[in-house]
Amino acid sequence: MTPLAHAGHWLAEVLYVAPVVVVVTWISVRALLDRRAEKREAGSE
Amino acid sequence: VIDGLVVLAHGIVGREDLPIPRWLFGWAATVVLVASFVALAVLWPTPRLEHARARAVLRVPRILEVACGALGVAFFALVVYAGFAGIQQVELNITPVAVWVLVWVGVPVLSIFLGDVFRAFNPWRAIGRAVGWASARVGGDRASQPLPYPERLGRWPAAVGLFAIAVVELAYADRDDPSTLSVLLLAYAAVQFVGMSLYGVETWTRRGDPLAVYFSLFAALAPLHWHDGRLELRRPLTGITELVALPGTVALVLVSIGSTSFDGFSEGPIWTDVLVEVQDVLTGLGLGPTFALEVGDAIGLALMVGLVALLYRLGVAGMRTVDRSQGTGALEGRFVHSLVPIAFAYLLAHYFSLLVFQGQATAYLASDPLGDGADLFGTASASIDYGVVGANAIWYVQVGALVAGHVAGLVLAHDRALTTFSDARQATRSQYWMLAVMIAFTSLGLWLLSSSNA
Repeated sequence: MTPLAHAGHWLAEVLYVAPVVVVVTWISVRALLDRRAEKREAGSE
Repeated sequence: VIDGLVVLAHGIVGREDLPIPRWLFGWAATVVLVASFVALAVLWPTPRLEHARARAVLRVPRILEVACGALGVAFFALVVYAGFAGIQQVELNITPVAVWVLVWVGVPVLSIFLGDVFRAFNPWRAIGRAVGWASARVGGDRASQPLPYPERLGRWPAAVGLFAIAVVELAYADRDDPSTLSVLLLAYAAVQFVGMSLYGVETWTRRGDPLAVYFSLFAALAPLHWHDGRLELRRPLTGITELVALPGTVALVLVSIGSTSFDGFSEGPIWTDVLVEVQDVLTGLGLGPTFALEVGDAIGLALMVGLVALLYRLGVAGMRTVDRSQGTGALEGRFVHSLVPIAFAYLLAHYFSLLVFQGQATAYLASDPLGDGADLFGTASASIDYGVVGANAIWYVQVGALVAGHVAGLVLAHDRALTTFSDARQATRSQYWMLAVMIAFTSLGLWLLSSSNA
């Protein structure tokens, strides 16, 4: 039971970090797309 | 916060009965912050907070200023005297409650609504001004002039002083001992008198006095502004945009957030386990067990301030990705004002229950400040009503404070980005990483509250 209880405890802790991970992933993708769009715009000018 | 008091710094009276798990509040807060970010990008294309005007609503008579200063001096004298002469029992002596509840937590909460109240009642400033006035009358032109304040010192004395206060609050074992607190108060006052005599009362109060500078940050968020004998009304948050990031300002704000974070973290199970290990190592080096705990907590506090600084640094480094011509140090200074509402949110969330419950002790301590059986105002038999606010209400206030503080931080950062970067699109993109930092701070705050409430 103890390992399972520990796993449950850690899972609860991870759930607090998860929104940060989701947003950082979204921002990273967004920043990458923005940079590509910028390069395309610069290339077409 | 204060071991000897009936400590409820983050405490919950009874168990919560929340409709959803606590971690889900983190997700809800994230949704609110992302929605706010999108709304700002779409609906806030030009700066609105910078250079906002204040409207004078009242003229404040000079005698009132003198009276407030005299009251501040009398309160300081009472608190110091009670610490020495009163009963050395924490919950029956006014000194610990006055220092850690009424001033340390109560003044920031008052300041956010009423402006810089501490400046009016600051006992060291009042004494310094009275001495300056008297020496000018006696010495005339021969009265010595203050030294020019070294620019590179900036707000560093305040930042270092605030860290020292946080060490006393969070690491020092005798932090709530009345007579020890009185000695510390006198030492603090002595440092302020030296600073004021060297650099002048107003200069030192605005840059070097840790409490005065710290409280003035929160007061800058207030809609009320006491200025030059006038009471002015302004839009909330606009005052903080005038914060000049002198050297040490970033450190000051980071210490504020880091110390509150560590207060929550140190009450959770992780730090409790780590501290035992740290204590073992330090006692192995020859330190006594109590001193080893104090040093361990001080190290933990410094590490937490470092973690908060790292998060902020990451946000600022992210901003630079849209405009490499901006220096990291300069951006840190330009955006530090956006952390002030977060610092307040952390403070309110962590100390709300302390303020609500232990603040009630003021009723009986006002009548019997020394704990010697006096009943000056007939309230000595008053007691603390722990049912005045329920566990759920406390949790909702904590979450609400964190979310509101971070939304305010986003608004300030967005508005400043509009004046820092070339166009609205670039400004919005620069704030992607600050959004991540705000969400990280919110999640950290909720996790700390959750683990210390557990």
